[in-house]
Amino acid sequence: MKALMSLGALIGVAGLLLLGGMVLDVVPSTYIRLVEGYMPIQMLLEVACYVIGFTGLSYTLNAMGMAIPRFWQGIGFWVFFLLYLKYRMYPPIPFSVRAMYGTVSLVAVFMWVSASEEDWQKFKQPIMNVLDAQTGGNRLLRYLYLVLLPILIGGFSFNAMMPKSEEPIELRTVHPAPPASTKVHGKTYTLQTSQNPYRVNPEGKYDQEFSNANIVEQGMGRLMKPNANPWDDKNQGYLKYVREGGEIFYQNCHFCHGDNLNGRGLHAFAFNPIPANFTDPGTIAQLQETFIFWRVSKGGIGLPNEGFPWASVMPPWEQHLTVDEIWKVVLFEYWHTGYYPRTWD
Amino acid sequence: MMDSITQKAGIIAAVAFGVVLVSSAGYSSVSAQGLPEGFKKGDLSPEPSADMIEAGKRVYFTKCVWCHGVDGAGDGPGADRLWPRPRNFNQGTFKIRHTASGELPLFDAKKPIAGQNDLFETVTHGLPGSAMPPWEGILSEEQRLQVLSFVTTQLVKDRKFTDKQSETQTILQLADLKPKPATDESKKRGSELIVEKKCVECHGMEGRGDGNAFNLKDDWGFSIQPANWHKCWNFRGSRQDPYNVANIFRTFSTGVNGTPMPSFADNTTVDERWDIANFVSSLCERDTLGNPLPIDPLTDKPKINFVIPSDLVEGEIPADIEHEAWQKAPKRIVAMGGQITHKPRNFVNRIDDMWVRSLYNDKYIVYLLEWDDRTKSVAEGKLPWAPTQVNIDVKEQDPKTGEEGSIAAKQNNYTLYNDAVAIETAVKWKELPAPIKPRYLFGTNDQFPMDIVKWEADGSLRAFKGTGWDKDFEERDNYEEAMKLVKSEWKNGRWYVMIQRPVGNKKDQDYDEDTFFEVGQYIPTVFFAWDGHNGDAGRKMAVSAFYYTFMNPPVPQETYIYPVVIAVGVVLLEGWVLTRRANRKKGKTL
Repeated sequence: MKALMSLGALIGVAGLLLLGGMVLDVVPSTYIRLVEGYMPIQMLLEVACYVIGFTGLSYTLNAMGMAIPRFWQGIGFWVFFLLYLKYRMYPPIPFSVRAMYGTVSLVAVFMWVSASEEDWQKFKQPIMNVLDAQTGGNRLLRYLYLVLLPILIGGFSFNAMMPKSEEPIELRTVHPAPPASTKVHGKTYTLQTSQNPYRVNPEGKYDQEFSNANIVEQGMGRLMKPNANPWDDKNQGYLKYVREGGEIFYQNCHFCHGDNLNGRGLHAFAFNPIPANFTDPGTIAQLQETFIFWRVSKGGIGLPNEGFPWASVMPPWEQHLTVDEIWKVVLFEYWHTGYYPRTWD
Repeated sequence: MMDSITQKAGIIAAVAFGVVLVSSAGYSSVSAQGLPEGFKKGDLSPEPSADMIEAGKRVYFTKCVWCHGVDGAGDGPGADRLWPRPRNFNQGTFKIRHTASGELPLFDAKKPIAGQNDLFETVTHGLPGSAMPPWEGILSEEQRLQVLSFVTTQLVKDRKFTDKQSETQTILQLADLKPKPATDESKKRGSELIVEKKCVECHGMEGRGDGNAFNLKDDWGFSIQPANWHKCWNFRGSRQDPYNVANIFRTFSTGVNGTPMPSFADNTTVDERWDIANFVSSLCERDTLGNPLPIDPLTDKPKINFVIPSDLVEGEIPADIEHEAWQKAPKRIVAMGGQITHKPRNFVNRIDDMWVRSLYNDKYIVYLLEWDDRTKSVAEGKLPWAPTQVNIDVKEQDPKTGEEGSIAAKQNNYTLYNDAVAIETAVKWKELPAPIKPRYLFGTNDQFPMDIVKWEADGSLRAFKGTGWDKDFEERDNYEEAMKLVKSEWKNGRWYVMIQRPVGNKKDQDYDEDTFFEVGQYIPTVFFAWDGHNGDAGRKMAVSAFYYTFMNPPVPQETYIYPVVIAVGVVLLEGWVLTRRANRKKGKTL
């Protein structure tokens, strides 16, 4: 038990040092990478690790006779969590969201310290001590609070009232509701019934199972299946079209969506909204192939208002590509990210 | 006994002599072996295993082939719309190295160690300023080493990384060389050395890459431009650490293979190279306090703030950039990308950022725009279209090399048009519920148009109304007289343009065409830029995202009153809590 707790303590100290380094900008916050697409679960795991570490740390300090009072433990944990959100999380979370998390964690800390009457007494004892001011130190503290609190609160409100020019927060719907049908190059496509004409097996039949068997493998790197190289000249059907789609992608799309389809292309930094990251499980993996066909054909200008058509630089690709080329690009995007398009059933 | 002592002494003396010899070899400018200062001979790395090469092929054909091509000749499907072009591996010519000029770069499939494995670092950190992304976090370390094993053994065809007959490794000992502190004295010496060593002939008098900018070619005959020292985040060798002088020191010591950039190892001492590196690094854009700009790790470019604050000045807005008001005005970087939404698309935009400042008074608002452009371009003769025309005959680049209109064939060979810049602001932006705006590219329609103020290098300043991306501009009557071109100057690779326009109001101006600039409001603003030397005209241009012009209001009186009231309230509250506690202790209840 003791050994286990010491190990916990070690984890706690190491974690605190790491976070401290990030706060002071000694350790970059990318030191331990947050893996794209898995950030939330990774964050929960990390916080769980910290909690285990703190339990161990508190136990060990207790055993060494240097117990930290419950009051400071509560405050310490809350402060830790706020710092963690601000300095560890990447991409950064906006203040409004951090404030929400902060409030929730404050409630959690209160529930923890007030779990039993005894705990609650222990927690509020230091506050009462300062209020009663029985000792010299506490009396000093009390006067300090008397003076500092009004100054601090006044200062904060002054800061809040000072006119500022912060970026207005604008919330955009990334996947707005699609129309029932869309007309591209003079032909109408019903989104519910249309199929990608290039998702075919070597015999030329629509075959989702065949194509699913040949997409790249999930996992680090998302590499192609060893015997499914789109650059093999002998390919017929699906893989041949993947390659043709790739050629179109790398002549037209990667400038924004990036060489790895992660939305980090050459021009991406200049644009807002930022280009979609197809490797994120929340984009094309969640959508039907016909939805992508509609979005690609009509581009930013064809979005409903909740999708910010005025700001999106996504081209209406019907101006640049043929229908066949658009279907091939869609095919390639699913192949390269290793996702299946969602089906209607 | 005696013998052994003399023997020992002899050995010690010999060792000491050896140490002196070796150490002096390391620190003279050119050693006995003919090595430049700071370099040491190294061994060639062993050949990667067949397994690594085979595994690397799989990585290559998933990720790299699209730009670098099936044979690694830098001719994949994506190659021809990229500038700089993807690397042709066949010749074994690599830019960023720790090895002497002309040598192969460091690569060892078993040692992914920073500073000892050039190619691994290139794949890990990418080549900023080009389309080569950082592969860290996408490919595992193992996968990066695998793909390099494949590239170095199968796609480098003219040279062999393991051939002791033809290849040598003379390695810059960067880890052992202590950087010289960037003192004023060191930077001053650096600034003299870049003239003496003729750096300025290509990189320009201010280091904006504008000297001899368009006569340089790489080993494959493609046009190539010298680096702009003011944008260190675009240095290919910056390794995602752009303000680190060691990266500049390395590039300067080893040269950039395949380009006209030579190695300066033979004609500079290590000390001189640090001075130059310190000076070059000091030129990179910094904030007002002289600190490096914060870099966004998602883009490896400076972080962007979409609000352009405008400060109030009393009386006339100064025309002199050195004036205190301009020096104090907050400066914002505006990122620019190619216009790739509608034809003709601009895949290679030469202008990738712009610095914007703004001041206003009761009548006017002035924008100061500064951007780097290697050439001053003014069209000769009359342009074949009217200034209002948007749908003009400019072809977009074809996707294949060698085609008449391809980038490779056209680079530096375009018809010369005017350099130009435009500020576009939303008209009637208050009528649209936030965040809705007119479309960024020349407005939505007649109902929600854009107010466009365009300056061209021929000295013209015009005002237009834009009613859609494919609609020709409507010229505005009389408005040009209300505007003023306060300044326009091209100097050493940078344009400085100051444009003044009325803030507008309902009484004097046209509500349907003018943007009214209201204090304390977020006014949607977009910037466009054209590089006349790049054949930019019409929709072939660089565009920004939506920014906001925000005219800082004077501080209202309440800001000083309310906090005091609140503080007094807190004092009263404190008194109440303390009294209550004291009464309770005494057993009294209220």
